[in-house]
Amino acid sequence: MTDAAIVTEKLTRRFGNLTAVDGVDLTVAAGQFFGFLGPNGAGKSTTIKMLTGLLAPSSGRAQLLGLDFARHPVEVKRQIGVVPEGMGLFERLTGAEYLQFVGRMYGLDRPTTQRRSEELLDFMQLSDRPKTLIADYSHGMQKKLALAAAVIHGPRILFLDEPFEGVDALAAGALKALLGRMTERGVTIFLTSHVLEIVERLCSHVAIIHKGRLVAQGSLEELRAGIAGEEGSKTTLEQIFLSIVGQDGAQRPQLEELSWLM
Amino acid sequence: MADVARVPAVWEQIRLVAGLRWRILRNGLRKKNNQWDLIGMIFAGVFAALFVLGLSLAFSFGAYSFLSGGHEAWMAFLFWAIFLYWQLFHIFTAGFGAGFEFRTMLRFPLSLRAFYVIGLAYGLADFAAVASSCWLIAMIIGAARAKPTVLPTMIVISALFLLMNVTLERMIGSWLERILARRRTREIFFAVFILLAVSLQFLNPLLQRYGRAAQPWVRHVLPYLSVFPPSLAGRAIAGAAQGHSTDVLLGAAGISAYALLFSVFLWLRFATQYRGEELSETAAPVRAVLRRTSRTAEQPDALGLLTPQVSAVLRKEFRYLTRNSFAFFLLIMPPVFVLLFTTQFAGRHPTATKHPVSTEFFFPGMMAYLILILMAPAYNSFAYDGKGIQTFFTSPVSFREVFLGKNLLQVAMLTFELTLSMAAFSYLVGLPSLPVLVATLAAIVFNVTGQLAIANWSSLSFPRKLNFGQMRGQRQSGMAVLVSFGTQILLGAISAPVLFISRWTGNAWLPAEVFAFLAAAAIAGYSSSLDPLAVLAEKKKETLIDALSR
Repeated sequence: MTDAAIVTEKLTRRFGNLTAVDGVDLTVAAGQFFGFLGPNGAGKSTTIKMLTGLLAPSSGRAQLLGLDFARHPVEVKRQIGVVPEGMGLFERLTGAEYLQFVGRMYGLDRPTTQRRSEELLDFMQLSDRPKTLIADYSHGMQKKLALAAAVIHGPRILFLDEPFEGVDALAAGALKALLGRMTERGVTIFLTSHVLEIVERLCSHVAIIHKGRLVAQGSLEELRAGIAGEEGSKTTLEQIFLSIVGQDGAQRPQLEELSWLM
Repeated sequence: MADVARVPAVWEQIRLVAGLRWRILRNGLRKKNNQWDLIGMIFAGVFAALFVLGLSLAFSFGAYSFLSGGHEAWMAFLFWAIFLYWQLFHIFTAGFGAGFEFRTMLRFPLSLRAFYVIGLAYGLADFAAVASSCWLIAMIIGAARAKPTVLPTMIVISALFLLMNVTLERMIGSWLERILARRRTREIFFAVFILLAVSLQFLNPLLQRYGRAAQPWVRHVLPYLSVFPPSLAGRAIAGAAQGHSTDVLLGAAGISAYALLFSVFLWLRFATQYRGEELSETAAPVRAVLRRTSRTAEQPDALGLLTPQVSAVLRKEFRYLTRNSFAFFLLIMPPVFVLLFTTQFAGRHPTATKHPVSTEFFFPGMMAYLILILMAPAYNSFAYDGKGIQTFFTSPVSFREVFLGKNLLQVAMLTFELTLSMAAFSYLVGLPSLPVLVATLAAIVFNVTGQLAIANWSSLSFPRKLNFGQMRGQRQSGMAVLVSFGTQILLGAISAPVLFISRWTGNAWLPAEVFAFLAAAAIAGYSSSLDPLAVLAEKKKETLIDALSR
């Protein structure tokens, strides 16, 4: 067994003339809570799709738990859980039916699938609507269900694309506790989020992607060390992010142009 | 304080709404995929113009001949025709999904009065309203040519009739909008709609059999129609032509009363919308119920012979089928078609032919027709999976298992439907001879299995997302339809001569033997197609996810 849970080498994805992800070299150690950041359209979701088998890379390769994804897709998929962009739910099933479906797709036996489905629905506070179709769930409920489905088989790596978006504060607290416990047990969590405070609180390591290229990678302390903050105060992740991604001043909106609003 | 200099006038707002609708239409056509829609719209526009123009001539001629020929009372028929078309047209089209959401205008600073007027104006932009207005104008011209003295009455009555119709149409429309906002009611609406469409097919046989018996009943009902707006309009025009001013006044007063009544109801509906009526897809929260621990896991698995993945897909497909009321409803069609076609072409008293068609030909033909209908969804089998398609790709399964699960349900459904249809056929006209029956059953295996392999390829190559409970914009991929028809024609072209071999050779069992061989070959071909299809699925995954996750 290798120490690195995720390793990418020159991972690249092109869509026609657009290079969405450009030669990304990424290393995520096993058991890390890893935050993957970037502005809108930077290539976060494209990267996560390539790492979960939803998108084939144009070039480069990805290794998960020492297995080459392209060569052993089924073996790799057995070990990972995914909450993809858009959640990928079958909306005409009930929550319990969907979890049972996913459990069986991962090869769990029926009693185990049944037991875990019920426990997960209880934990996610979704068990009081056994007959409600997923289509009739609120966005937050769908998110919780997608997360439950991603962990039902006990994955060793968990990929979460914006997992807290639309989830209420109570549920978010429970989810964070769950994810924290999972990392303690050695599960690697790869998370994208636009809420930098969440990433700062949860993640031990961070990578930042900008215009398809990896522009920073390391522990929060390592990234802080590279940024000159105010004396005596701790540099926040937002400051790190803005100093790396927002260096191009031309991209910052000019508020002066909206003087009639102020 | 917001920088709003003035609240725009109602007419300016109507112009803005019209401009908005035009831009939505124009921008929609900019998409490459919709270029064909533009051509389709041009054709539809030409046909619609011909339809309106042709019927305008007919209405004008009708009004002219009724008034000049001394049949003034028959003018009511023309008003009834317009009334029914105007009111029924939008009910039928309303169910085909939500178009432009008029209520979204409520976010802007509109008074209730302005909202009401815009709502009415919006109703006049409907095709049925435009067509009906043209026909009313045509009637005015025809009536004026026949009897110039009725012109003022004709104009007033037509204006009142138009106002009454547009108000009623908007009133029904706003109620339909409320009803169809919920997915479940929308699906029930489609089911009733299809049931009505199918029921119309039985009209001709029923009229032939019971038409004469129903005539006295119809005559008994007709006088009650005189209190409705179209009859009142006809009565007013007939009164004007015959110089009976009381009828003119009564007719005009009656239509005005209807218009006023509908206006009050419409105002109340719009006032509810204006206050912020919530129309949501989502069901109201239900009271939390105590969860009972399911015992299903302790019971033996009914699908224990299958792998967990195949049984999971099969169960999911079955649940999807039973929850898609539109697809589920189509399952009652085969026995209905058997009933319909046997009454028309077979049995003791066929209504469409003088002599019944022989069961030896009718049975295989009927089964071929049913397969044609029942196999059509297989050519776009991921249509209803939507974003769920990603689960298939993130799970550790080969698409071989996904196809097996989907195809097994398709075969189970076909078996059930064909068995039911055969039972109905057997009861109504009797089964064919044993060699033809066996040959047909083997032909079914050959046709279905042969089609499944091609249908799976079509599902991967030409995916098109379809939404539950929605018919508007619900089109299959044109290529998938072509592949489906091409395959069915090819297999039909192979099967038909085989069925006739017995006639040429005198060997009654030869078709059954040939079809048994073809069926075995088709099963072998299907089995060997699954692995290459799994490889193809991996190659096509981006197209699939993109097409189905929109």
